[in-house]
Amino acid sequence: MSQMIGVAAPSAKPIVRTGALRSRIFKAAVFVILSVLFVTQLYPLLWLLIYSLKNNEEILSGSFFSLPASPQWNNFTDAIASGNYFKYLANSLLVTTVTMLGVLLLSALASFAISRFKWRYGGAVMVLFLVGMMIPMQATLLPLMIIFKNIDILNTHLSIILPYIAFQTPIAVFILSGFMRSIPHEIEESAIVDGAGVFRIFRSIILPVSVPPMMTVCILTFINIWNEYIMASTFISSEGLKTLPFGVYSFVSQYSVNYGAIGAFLVLGALPVVIIYFLLADKITKGMVAGAVKG
Amino acid sequence: MNVLRVSKWTIAAFVLPCLLLYFCLVFVPILVSFYSGLLDWNGIGESKFVGLANFQKLLFEDAVFWPSVKRTLMFAVFSMAEIPVALFVAILLSRFVKKPNFLVSSYFLPVILSVVIIGQLWKTIYNPASMGGMLNQVLETIGLGDWTRAWLTDPNVAMYALYFVALWQYLGYHTLIQFTGIQNIPSDIYEAARIDGAEGLKADWHITLPMNIPIFKISIVLSFIGSLQAFDMIMVMTGGGPAHATDVISTHMYNMSFLSMKYGYGSAIAAFLVVLCLAATLLVNLVFNRLERKFT
Amino acid sequence: MSKGVKAVMAGALALSLAACGTNNNSATGGNDNKGAANGSKATNQEKITITFQNIYPDPTDPKHGAVKKIVEQYEAEHSNIKIELDSLNTDQQKLKLKTQAASKEVPDITVVNPSAQMKPFVEAGLFAPLNDMVEQNGLKATFQEGILDWYSFDNNLYALPDGNNIGVVYYNKELFEQGGVKVPATFEEMIEVVKTLKSKGITPIAIGEKDTWTGSFLFMNVLLRTNGGPGFLQDVQDGKKTFEDQAFVDAVDSFQDLVQAGAFQEGATSFDYNAGENLFKTGKSAMYYMGSWATGGIETSSVNGKVGVFKFPTVKGKGNPNEFMLAPGSGFAISANSKHLQETKDFLNYFMLNFPKVMFEAKGAIGIAQKVEGDFKAQGYSEMAMEILDLFKEVQGGDLSFDNTMNPGTSQAHLTSIQDLFGQKRDSKEIGKDHQTAYTSNKE
Repeated sequence: MSQMIGVAAPSAKPIVRTGALRSRIFKAAVFVILSVLFVTQLYPLLWLLIYSLKNNEEILSGSFFSLPASPQWNNFTDAIASGNYFKYLANSLLVTTVTMLGVLLLSALASFAISRFKWRYGGAVMVLFLVGMMIPMQATLLPLMIIFKNIDILNTHLSIILPYIAFQTPIAVFILSGFMRSIPHEIEESAIVDGAGVFRIFRSIILPVSVPPMMTVCILTFINIWNEYIMASTFISSEGLKTLPFGVYSFVSQYSVNYGAIGAFLVLGALPVVIIYFLLADKITKGMVAGAVKG
Repeated sequence: MNVLRVSKWTIAAFVLPCLLLYFCLVFVPILVSFYSGLLDWNGIGESKFVGLANFQKLLFEDAVFWPSVKRTLMFAVFSMAEIPVALFVAILLSRFVKKPNFLVSSYFLPVILSVVIIGQLWKTIYNPASMGGMLNQVLETIGLGDWTRAWLTDPNVAMYALYFVALWQYLGYHTLIQFTGIQNIPSDIYEAARIDGAEGLKADWHITLPMNIPIFKISIVLSFIGSLQAFDMIMVMTGGGPAHATDVISTHMYNMSFLSMKYGYGSAIAAFLVVLCLAATLLVNLVFNRLERKFT
Repeated sequence: MSKGVKAVMAGALALSLAACGTNNNSATGGNDNKGAANGSKATNQEKITITFQNIYPDPTDPKHGAVKKIVEQYEAEHSNIKIELDSLNTDQQKLKLKTQAASKEVPDITVVNPSAQMKPFVEAGLFAPLNDMVEQNGLKATFQEGILDWYSFDNNLYALPDGNNIGVVYYNKELFEQGGVKVPATFEEMIEVVKTLKSKGITPIAIGEKDTWTGSFLFMNVLLRTNGGPGFLQDVQDGKKTFEDQAFVDAVDSFQDLVQAGAFQEGATSFDYNAGENLFKTGKSAMYYMGSWATGGIETSSVNGKVGVFKFPTVKGKGNPNEFMLAPGSGFAISANSKHLQETKDFLNYFMLNFPKVMFEAKGAIGIAQKVEGDFKAQGYSEMAMEILDLFKEVQGGDLSFDNTMNPGTSQAHLTSIQDLFGQKRDSKEIGKDHQTAYTSNKE
């Protein structure tokens, strides 16, 4: 992570009026604000770690700060064994990756057409997408069930990947087309002069500069589907196809809940994500800065 | 104006894959839902066409419905009120922190945690002091015993307690979005402003704010979506209770469709929700088109 | 035993194939013997997968272990059959089943609640009648007297229950001693007990009222008393009574007395079932009203050994303490559209035959729906468990929970209405009126 130090904020931004008392107080205040936020936003992770080592009674006694009397490491072994951790993780990674790629590809193509092509129905298509942007998944469970039954994809990964992609495309198109619209038109004008085709303009000019909003889309897609359970549990039945949220709920029985194991499972579930995210955080922001074209 | 003139086939190749998938799996189900809203149907057996009876009942007789609409809209208002705060944090981060990535990522963490854990955590905060509730215990310790509340079970405050959890969870999310927006503003603009004598917060007022308008639009749309779909968190924390005091449109819809087994009626609620979403989307677009025209 | 079962299975399997051939998919296949010869060949060829949707995902639940064990046993004996377990938590399973039902995509075996809650599924023709299957291998005789009635409609049986419980009051003997109180013989005494405990800083009764049915379960026991016996809801449905009758209003009054006496922990409506029960299990509350299924959990908690049980007392001198809130458990039903109907029936038959024994060994046999042979004491069941077993012998009837009796719409209105009482005192007559309105507007 040390290379991160190199990526300071753009040089013009930091305040330079050093020495002034006011500025020093101001800086202290900023430091306090950011630190408080750091604690409140990061404490849950620490809390979760402690939680995952407690037994049920300690957890349900509901104290906020206490440590477990003796760490329950078996929560983790339970989580891995009974929660089918590795299998579910692999499935989650597969589903999430395919969904992300699908969303990116499909919505980038559509956004490009909507924002750069000269055609009559661009606006109408955009409105169509906007309509679906806020539709709650629960309202579509039943019709989707019937559709999937008829095309015979129930209980396959496809039965969750397809709706995941479909539900993410409106917001993705919204973000990407908004961005692509702001790219100056001279770019493709000169490309056309150079004899580049539409696909090449898309691939070599538009896509590379659209990395930042695509990152945003990735993040949005990720947080919307990584913990998604209602749709997954409705369309998937086979043990071998289930995703991480199933593992979480596998410790919830009719009349009992194994909270410690849930905590352990969530730690294990969040861990790869947190690691990947922090490793990529650098690249994500860099990519965004590099892609700065607006102005 | 868009300049690329392309053949119909090219347009189809770009638009159709996305549009078809979306149309079949989001649009068609919603149309089906609209139709189901006209049925008296428990979701399983025979259905009966009743025309607009469900809607009539929903709009004029359902005592739970309008309060839940109000809570949903309040939810949206609160989430939107959070955006300026997120922008402020994002500005602080980009100005005063050498390597902001780590902090931005940290602030973002609550969003990826499962709602099961968020619910447990906040219950240990909101519980009555006698049940180990952290907030009430702290209030008692610092002598503000009068301020203690049954945060999740007092119908007058429970909803606000829930709003707050959502605000907390999504602060980092909006901060991240605003932060990326700020990073995208070319630094030479600030450079130029500095020569004109504008720096610090003044520069933010004249540059960051207007330049970030498209990003606000994204943030606002996202907080709208989040509010209208707020479901999991409410189910885990209060289940819509006590006695409907924390029901929002989506929980009411769930109750009706699947618990009371009035699927037709639940679909009518879904249809209403879609119309509401549409209105919200159009409004947001209208407002921002004006803003963008004014500032760019 | 297994040999005999196997032989029967092979025969039954063959029959099913024959039955398919004659386009006869369910009820009469059982007694027909013709197809046995040509059917046995098929046993080795076709690999059959049976989907078994269930609500026991948690490995610490004895039923999870039992399901797994019997399924493994069965698969070992029937190499051509694979049982795919789709284990979900209860809420999600309900949602999934309802969604599946709407598209007639019910899994081979699923789980439903008895009586009113399974009625819509039965009426939609989604479940296969099990009349023939329950007669095979003497399965019917393993069930307790009368229990299967809750799963039968028009003389057809549609599900086989996994449990049969009664509502009891668990109490913490140590805390009772500390509070200087005795087991109450009447509801009025119970309120005094509550007040005494409360004054000594002990939470009298724990409840997980976020899951609204818990309060309703207790309330219904009060109604069972004020009505002087079971059948109030049935009478309402038959048009003989209304919710505005005195018995119901009295029940609301008495229930409110209990709430207003401070019987329940603070913030009860934000405690889900588990968090509520945990208060009792960690010795933080003196009493806990629940179905006898809670016994297993209490046995493995820190208050084990200090807990006794008593029957819900009379209210205002009315009612018979030997009438209980009855809780026939969730039942296993078979999809009418199952592609392997006969194989599924055979498996479920085998499953239910083995269920009591396996549960007995796993110390989970308290409150199952079948007769259990064996010495509970010798098997190491706790004293409290033995007490519960004795209570079972004294049962002289009772009522089902509200949502198992009334249609879902009315039930939801009722559940919310009772939850409301935890937050504020309401006019009892008003509550009765609200119930009546909800009932009439949800009646078909």
